[in-house]
Amino acid sequence: MKQIAIYGKGGIGKSSTASNVAAACADEGYKVTIIGCDPKSDSSITLLRGERIPTVMELMQQGYEISEEDVVFEGYKGVKCVEVGGPEPGIGCAGRGIIVAIKMLQKKSSVMEDSDLIIYDVPGDIVCGGFAAPIRKGLVNDTYVLTSGEYMPLYAANNICKGFARLGNNLNGVICNSRNAENEETIVKAFAQELGSELLAFIPKDPIVQTCERAGYSVIEKQPDSEIAGVYRKLARAIMGRESSCKPRPLTDARLRELTG
Amino acid sequence: MSPVPLKKEPMIIHPRPSSIVAALYTLRDLDVDVVILHGPPGCSFKHARLLEEDGLRVVTTALDESGFVFGGHDKLVKLLEKVIEKFDPKSIGIVGTCASMIIGEELHEAVLEVNPDVPVIEVEVHAGYPNNTKGVIITLESALAAGILSEEEFQRQKILLEEATEVEKRHGAASKEYLEPSRGDVKYTVAKRIIELLKEGKKGLTILNAKKETGYMFADINVAVNQVAKELGSTSEIINMANLDENLGLDRVRSHARNINRDLKKMGIKVHEIIGGLDEYPVAGKVVNRLIAEKYSDFDFAVITGVPHAIPMDNLQGMEVISVTNGPRQVLPLKEMGHEYVVVEIDLHPKTLGVSSIIESEFGATLRKLAQEERT
Repeated sequence: MKQIAIYGKGGIGKSSTASNVAAACADEGYKVTIIGCDPKSDSSITLLRGERIPTVMELMQQGYEISEEDVVFEGYKGVKCVEVGGPEPGIGCAGRGIIVAIKMLQKKSSVMEDSDLIIYDVPGDIVCGGFAAPIRKGLVNDTYVLTSGEYMPLYAANNICKGFARLGNNLNGVICNSRNAENEETIVKAFAQELGSELLAFIPKDPIVQTCERAGYSVIEKQPDSEIAGVYRKLARAIMGRESSCKPRPLTDARLRELTG
Repeated sequence: MSPVPLKKEPMIIHPRPSSIVAALYTLRDLDVDVVILHGPPGCSFKHARLLEEDGLRVVTTALDESGFVFGGHDKLVKLLEKVIEKFDPKSIGIVGTCASMIIGEELHEAVLEVNPDVPVIEVEVHAGYPNNTKGVIITLESALAAGILSEEEFQRQKILLEEATEVEKRHGAASKEYLEPSRGDVKYTVAKRIIELLKEGKKGLTILNAKKETGYMFADINVAVNQVAKELGSTSEIINMANLDENLGLDRVRSHARNINRDLKKMGIKVHEIIGGLDEYPVAGKVVNRLIAEKYSDFDFAVITGVPHAIPMDNLQGMEVISVTNGPRQVLPLKEMGHEYVVVEIDLHPKTLGVSSIIESEFGATLRKLAQEERT
């Protein structure tokens, strides 16, 4: 079983990538689970035709005894979707929410044993202990970093790799979600190599992604014959077949600036 | 299917016993040598100190503001190494706190890094559970995982703890939104009443239903009733029941039962009915209930010490019930159950730590003194 997490700067396209990879793997007959760890709880929305599902934390807050069927919902081609949920911006502690929800799932849910692929969609940078919970509780064995070729997303990706190094976690690959930056593929490829890893996929910027998401679908479901659907499929296969990983060697800030300059 | 709402519990507005503290006491019962509290230095201070009286060393990683912000992994590693070097313990406990659990500290990472060659029981606990028995269960689960507790004993403890939680909800501190503390009835008055009953030759039960080490002091009251009856030349028949089974529970708890039985024997006091082990206070009441129905239904009064609210009232209805508790918040619920007199042995528990023989209680002393005055 593959248990993966995709990390990267907020807004870089983690959820889009995660849900398209999930859909592509489901197309190939894999049993897939996606666990959204963002308090916004929008990781699985494009697998559920734009519908929102009750989140683990919201049910807990309302004082329910939660069982698996209350929080696990089947989306596109049987992909199992779970949203951890969490507080509104500016209050409470979303990180603790992830810890509590993941412990609950471990105890009460069989989807975590019954899948070929589990994707943890974790928000932005790993800003506190809770956001690293899936990794630290040993639930993630493969980690990927998503970035564009611009300085800030690369800076965030590099920083995340520092976190992996500290937690003793390996990096399985770098994915580039293009923002149409200059020399983007070359830059991200070099970044990946200097980390000791490699660039697994270059996802071109394509308005189809936006159109599909607005309608509540993944590209795989709504535009299966599009070129970009092909890119996601290729990435999905790369992830499922991926065996190698590395201890990431984070770059210095000066080197990062040089790369993007 | 829509989710099932949890049973509505009464809103409880006084502070509840802490699950962190419950974890500490459980580690003591498991005979762990040193416990590291991973959290702020002020967390669980009073109990940490009390437990040192009982031979358990409790130390803290003393997380401060920067610890909350930057994490306490390094401090935990350092302290774990120091504890091994300084105390050479045979087993170690690491207990979480609210602060360290909220920021997502992983106790296990420090243990992996230090890799001690003695068992380490990692307890991921905080004080946010409404019932402190949760702290005990989490600790026992970890002890089971660390291989220092058998599956059989774990299951037995779990049932007892669930029952203990129910007892508290029925007639204990978790039974009401707010319970006014009370010192109960004046010891002098109650002692006088017991002496009266003995002088009238009334038949009496003494029931010790104590929680673990508290038995060292509660037993003194059962002893005093017997001694006073003898001293006054009372014709009363006295039957002693006690949860002093020496073959049940964790080793430490069994040794308390052995110690108390040894003292009782020395004093010539016979325990007529063993109603369970010292950790069976939540369920021993059922045994008492059955025994009364079978053999003692014609008794006139009962003196119940320890956890009196765990003894069902069904078969005590016809008797005058005098109970002794150490909880000032237990007085009202006991009166509501129908106990005529409720005596509070204030601060009993701290006095029973670091103790291995029966120690004098205030109520026992009052009874003895009054009986002495009666005679002269």
